[in-house]
Amino acid sequence: MSSTFFKTIGIRLWTSALVLVGVSILIFCIARVIPGDPARIALGPNATQEQVELLRERLHLNESLPVQYFEFVRELFQGDLGMSLYTNRPVTTDIGDFLPATLELVVFAGILMVVVGIPLGVLAARYRDKLTDNVVRLLSLLGVVTPTFVWAVFLMLIFAFYLEILPVAGRLSQGVDPPPGVTGFYTIDALLAGQWSTFGDAFSHIILPATALALTGIGQTARLTRASVAETYDKPYVEMAQAYGFSDRRIASKYALRPAMIPSLTIMGLDFAAMLGGAFLVEAVFAWPGLARYGVETILHKDLNGIVGTVLVISAFFLIVNMLVDIAVAWLNPRIRLQKRWAG
Amino acid sequence: MTAPLLQIADLRLAFDSWRGPVEVLHGISLNIRRGEKVALVGESGSGKSVTARIIAGLLQYQRGARISGHVAFDGKDLLGLSERAFRDLRGTAMSMVFQDPTSALNPVFTIADQFREVLGRAHKDISRAEARRRAAEALDHVLIHEPERVLASYPFQLSGGMNQRVLIAMALANQPALLLADEPGTALDVTVQDRTLHLMADLIEEVGSAVLFISHNLGVVREFADRVYVIYRGRIVEHAGTDALFHDPRHPYTRALLAAVPKISGEGLPDTLVETSDAFDAPAVIHDGCEEPPLPAGMAA
Repeated sequence: MSSTFFKTIGIRLWTSALVLVGVSILIFCIARVIPGDPARIALGPNATQEQVELLRERLHLNESLPVQYFEFVRELFQGDLGMSLYTNRPVTTDIGDFLPATLELVVFAGILMVVVGIPLGVLAARYRDKLTDNVVRLLSLLGVVTPTFVWAVFLMLIFAFYLEILPVAGRLSQGVDPPPGVTGFYTIDALLAGQWSTFGDAFSHIILPATALALTGIGQTARLTRASVAETYDKPYVEMAQAYGFSDRRIASKYALRPAMIPSLTIMGLDFAAMLGGAFLVEAVFAWPGLARYGVETILHKDLNGIVGTVLVISAFFLIVNMLVDIAVAWLNPRIRLQKRWAG
Repeated sequence: MTAPLLQIADLRLAFDSWRGPVEVLHGISLNIRRGEKVALVGESGSGKSVTARIIAGLLQYQRGARISGHVAFDGKDLLGLSERAFRDLRGTAMSMVFQDPTSALNPVFTIADQFREVLGRAHKDISRAEARRRAAEALDHVLIHEPERVLASYPFQLSGGMNQRVLIAMALANQPALLLADEPGTALDVTVQDRTLHLMADLIEEVGSAVLFISHNLGVVREFADRVYVIYRGRIVEHAGTDALFHDPRHPYTRALLAAVPKISGEGLPDTLVETSDAFDAPAVIHDGCEEPPLPAGMAA
């Protein structure tokens, strides 16, 4: 990778920062125009007017919006996102607690999406209009049209309730201590600490929620990959590969797949990033202590700092995933990689 | 006389459609001896390309394609061959050059990668370095003066003419007994096409491959082929040595085809150009000495 590569990454980071500023202004304003006094909601109906007034003062709620935003930015640069009115803890602490849980879930689901969805799509394209194709298409459609929470409840009923082979909810069984926190991913932390039984427990807990979260993405990925690979099968260079006797497997897994991945990768990236927001339903069903659930609670409690903090983190995640996808696309597509600049 | 390298007898092809099978080839017979250059000439849709694709085994295993007749290649019955056995022939005993060189090369792999894959067809365990050396040598043969730069390039970084040379080098790298050239270079401009075709002719001479040259360009055919088959709507209408065909065209369709070649003297196309006629469906004219040899023993129905 050349210096233009790093330059382009620099430009992307810079524009991402601008996007984050825009998002922060937007969500800052929206959170404050929702009706209801956050101080009153936080303190409850029994609090006195003085107490409410005091909290409003502390939250700068009596200032104008620009002043409030300025205060927010000043505190942000000190690494402070303010106190959460919902948990009564600093928002940064909340995010530090809840984000790894959701990220772990989303990363597992993302891995499932890629390692199951893409091969299914390739298989369907290779056996286009045959039985395999029809089965894959039917299943992936089922995955796409069934809402995530239905999958969640289904999976929980079958595997946790009737078969009793996987735990019902939570990240760990009762009595199991969380592994020492390095990444906040219990599975990885347990591995790093060499705690095999904790790893097994954490892993068995994540299977169902990750699968439920991934099924829509798997279906989408399979459909996308199938369409894209099937299209490249009609290209002259695939016919050329056939005319030179390259094996069907090699054509499917290399010569047709790589050009086909270029257009579908961007959409897969967006699907993956969207899981972070979509994780709420899964987290709710499986009592998974994650950020998506936290975000919804903060909205319901009109917890201004919590809302802004959560949205900023999710936006940053979107931007990072998008950038990674762009890098991957550039790596796959020499036409982009060899351009002087491929900044979007 | 030894048996020809490729012998096609009464080849028929039909595609299934919802109204029943649609016949595309109505019994083609054609033969190519070792090292011989044979042209198959006809207009678009006459069945030239599907014939080449049947020989290359690209249509047999497709659903909806019904093929009957006989295709013998180097003593093997190509229509009875398993998909796997057929694949072993492709890229080694026979290879193909395509119409549009740039789209025939994979856009996301370097020429070196693609060349290595082609060489790997004949030499299973060829090393990366050895493949690169041989590829550079092969490119040198098609007068590419900076083989290393070309090998490191992607197809979109090279000109059409350059890609065409790469394709020719690939097609002949494994010294195939038969080369199927499907309108090579038609997508290129005329001067580049002419130059690369001459290169191809020289290289074929050197390697000693037999060629089935598919084209609608009579000028190129005249220069290039030993014998010519004229195909019209899925039937062979005339078969002759190249000189005989151009000096003494006997079938009405061949005459019309020859008349359709614009003259460089400025007269353009003749006014009396016939585009279609019942006379075109007249029985095939086979010139003396061009009769199809009998099928090899055990191949006849």
